[in-house]
Amino acid sequence: MSAAPPRGAADGREIPADDPRVQLDEALGVFEPVPPYPPRTEREAEFYTLGDGEMFINMGPQHPSTHGVLRIVLKIDGENVVDLDPVLGYLHRGVEKLCENADYHHSIAYLDPLEYISSLFCEWPGVMAFEKLLDVTPPPRAEYLRVLSSELNRILSHSMFIGWMALDLGGLTPILYGLIERDEIAEMLAALTGQRLLFNYFRIGGVNGDLNHEFLSRLGDWMSRATTQIEANTMLLNENEIFVRRMRGLGTMDQATALRMCMTGPNIRATGIPLDFRRAHPYSVFPELDFDIPTRDEGDCLARYLVRIDEIKQSLRIIDQCLHQMPDGPIMAKLPRLLRPRPGRAYAAVEGPRGQYAAYVISDGTDQPFRMRIHDPSFIHLQSVGTLMPGHLIADAMAVMASLDPIMGGVDK
Amino acid sequence: MDPALKRRLASRFGERLIAPIHQRHDETEIRIGPGDVPDVCRTLHDEAEFAFRVLADLAGVDTGTSMQVVYHLWSETSADWLRVVADGLSRDDPRVPSVTFLWKGAEWMEREAYDMFGITFEGNRDLRRIYMPPDYQSFPLRKDFFLADDAARSPGAGVRHMEQVHTPRNARPAATIRKAPA
Amino acid sequence: MARSWSRLTLAGKILFTVIPILFVLTVGLVLLIVIAGKPIVDFLAANIWLVRFVVAATAILLMSVPTAFLIIYMEMKVIALMNLRIGPDRVGPFGSLLSVVHGLKVLMKEDFSPTGADRLVFTLAPVAVFMATIMALLVIPFAPGLFGADMNIGLLYLFAVSGLTVVGLLMAGWSSFNKYSLLGGLRSAAQVISYEIPLTLSVVGLLLLAGTMSLNQIVLLQGPHLVNGVATGGWFTDWFVFRQPLGALIFFIAATAEANRTPFDLTEADSEIVAGFATEYSGMRFGFFFFAEYVNVFVVSGLIVTLFFGGWNAPFPWPWPVSVGFDPGSLGIGLLLLIAIVPVVGTLILAAPFFLARSSLPAWQAIVIGFVLFNLLAIVAIAGWAFISFDWVAGLLWFLGKSYVFVFTFVWMRGTLPRVRIDQLMGFAWKWLLPASLLNLFVTALAIVVVHPK
Repeated sequence: MSAAPPRGAADGREIPADDPRVQLDEALGVFEPVPPYPPRTEREAEFYTLGDGEMFINMGPQHPSTHGVLRIVLKIDGENVVDLDPVLGYLHRGVEKLCENADYHHSIAYLDPLEYISSLFCEWPGVMAFEKLLDVTPPPRAEYLRVLSSELNRILSHSMFIGWMALDLGGLTPILYGLIERDEIAEMLAALTGQRLLFNYFRIGGVNGDLNHEFLSRLGDWMSRATTQIEANTMLLNENEIFVRRMRGLGTMDQATALRMCMTGPNIRATGIPLDFRRAHPYSVFPELDFDIPTRDEGDCLARYLVRIDEIKQSLRIIDQCLHQMPDGPIMAKLPRLLRPRPGRAYAAVEGPRGQYAAYVISDGTDQPFRMRIHDPSFIHLQSVGTLMPGHLIADAMAVMASLDPIMGGVDK
Repeated sequence: MDPALKRRLASRFGERLIAPIHQRHDETEIRIGPGDVPDVCRTLHDEAEFAFRVLADLAGVDTGTSMQVVYHLWSETSADWLRVVADGLSRDDPRVPSVTFLWKGAEWMEREAYDMFGITFEGNRDLRRIYMPPDYQSFPLRKDFFLADDAARSPGAGVRHMEQVHTPRNARPAATIRKAPA
Repeated sequence: MARSWSRLTLAGKILFTVIPILFVLTVGLVLLIVIAGKPIVDFLAANIWLVRFVVAATAILLMSVPTAFLIIYMEMKVIALMNLRIGPDRVGPFGSLLSVVHGLKVLMKEDFSPTGADRLVFTLAPVAVFMATIMALLVIPFAPGLFGADMNIGLLYLFAVSGLTVVGLLMAGWSSFNKYSLLGGLRSAAQVISYEIPLTLSVVGLLLLAGTMSLNQIVLLQGPHLVNGVATGGWFTDWFVFRQPLGALIFFIAATAEANRTPFDLTEADSEIVAGFATEYSGMRFGFFFFAEYVNVFVVSGLIVTLFFGGWNAPFPWPWPVSVGFDPGSLGIGLLLLIAIVPVVGTLILAAPFFLARSSLPAWQAIVIGFVLFNLLAIVAIAGWAFISFDWVAGLLWFLGKSYVFVFTFVWMRGTLPRVRIDQLMGFAWKWLLPASLLNLFVTALAIVVVHPK
């Protein structure tokens, strides 16, 4: 260290040798995930004091199994997990602040990478809130296109969920079957929207592109074998003794706890509460569509897994009806070139594959949002890991987290 | 638009509302002072005529003149979203009682509001930063947030030339901050 | 001298170093043979068991690495095909040389040990695991007459040695100075120890039936043997799996757990604890663990085949040896002409269709194709002749074929099944497999007493 020339700062300041930022190359010793400052809250104090025989294990931001960059500090007693503390922020991009400095139209592209697997559901509440502020109604064909594309996105997301669930339990094959499904739907949506992952398809007042021949031929081709394909993909797991035995009775949540933890989506429907915002607070053309809300009563990981498989089947029904009932007409409403929303507030929520996605937009009359609040279901559900885990083993930590289906892009915004 | 809900809210909370009940599209909005938050939320949660048992969202807002905490609630008894705005928090030391006694899931949402705005939720057992590193000094979503100031102190700024902040040293925050309409 | 040395290129330097050394070694060897040759040969002839042991150990060490390469490639390719992927594709035909390249790669990686790790134990742990696995190959009979050592306590030796892997795993887990490794090491130690008991107990029933612990004898009992002076049997119904079905099943499951294979592969559960005990290992040390695991798979498959599926016996009685009735020596000078002419003629005959069918093919390419095809045919013909003439060739091929069927089964299970949890795993071993193996033992003993009271 002393032999190296002093490194200069951007404006010529010298950095002293004992600056803590410089001493990065020394050996670290044992890495204990205890923070180097005194505990800030009582929960932190309670967590970071070790009982007898307990130790900390850090499932760091790089880990083959956390669903993105997530750091979890586990307090374990042998193999039992006593407590856990998720540390977030590794993927925080400041989307809400970015949207305040951007146009209303540009904000839609900022909303896509939140939950990148189901990006149409991230755009939708933002677009709906903007439409409320502008008092614009999208034409019915645009609404049907939104429902059609988003239900395809839901099936894509659930297929990937089945894959991740099995991968976290050790099965190497189902994720590749899920990727086959995802690839077919991604190609379809690429024909419709031009993108495979971050679709950027919804616009204020409608959607960006109409149905075309390639999309319809791929869709028809896939729909004709979708049911059997999904049956085949899930058959490997549903009837597998090891898989079922590991998931049954794990991470059981009862209805009161689910409501207290503000859960939404398949996680709460697996406990028996039929809360689905497509029926509870209908938006778009869902009042005209006929579908069921699958629920299960057990509230464990297996129930959460099976509810999502049932939802895939319901989504197929919805897509079928959309194709048959789609009216002709324009796909975008007439908007002025320069948007002048009324000063005020609007809240819009949709039911996505993970739960309720919502946006609360405050407008001050200019063409930039004053406040763009994004509500994301994965953020809420990740809190529940702490309530569901204690008493189970380390191996179950991954299973429980996978069954809650978080996407770190949404958790960290 | 749910006029029945408006009547029920006015009759139950009339004197506590600091602004008229505002309804637009499918949202009903009430404004209360920060001290009333636990009572109002408990009433809305427990009583059968309201039964707002689902907390859909908890957000902090910096209006430029004051701070707000906005709760969105849902119930089977009404077709509207209910927005409860706890208005009038000071921008220097915003404090609001926490609703984690009703909804444990609000804990992280309050942590996020603290992290982004500096709003202290009294009664939240775990009020620490959630997105920003633990030694971050400022609150990013505030309207008077000045990035270069904080980033230069942040350990994220490295010692090598490429990792440092290159904002000119005489850069200053904006003269006026953006204010929300009433 | 120094100046001319410094003017050489690297290749020249190597050449001028190696050749003198080789010369000196050759001269030394010749002198040794001339002076002390006869006493050495006499000593070795008197202690033929020593020679045999050294040759067997060398052969096993040398053969274990290609076996591991082959099984690694099989696993990558077969699991890929089950996952509807392609798998290794580029290196060699159908990617078959990929594991060889991987082996070379791990040799070239940086060799480090983590700060704070116990360096001696850290270095010795892979050696311990690898040696424990290789030592087990010493007693497995590959073919009649083709085994390392025919101990009359062969089975006991085998179980004793495979228990030594626990020591190596614990050494690795503890010395890595890493909590994940510690967890992985302890988990694997618990797993291996728990499953050793059903493993050994399931074979005791077999021991009662066979009456010997020598693996060679067990295989001979499953083949054609003399009954009252008449050679009978040799059909697959003699195999012990039909007389000890429960024992075979328990052995298979316990062996899967011993070999740390899915569904019992928590020690390397990479979705939970990164790489378990091997988290801090890289380069050739990790390569040792890796190879040891796959050689263990082969050992375990070989054991299942030896104990329950007839070892090197064919499923049907085979009249060994079949003499082709052809004595090459009788041809005299004709043999030399045959060896000179047949390859050339065969190459031309096999090249002709390719040359005639595709006019764009240059003549030399057609000849190369013909040569390769002729070689393949010659290999097949010679192998076939060896197969029917030598019982040890046939036995080896039957043994390897059956073992690889079981290796394929292990790979198949890895591609299909998820992992069990540690408490389910322990519960299964202690509450289900152990009572089942005891039941098997009692029923077998009862059957022997009832049917053959002696």
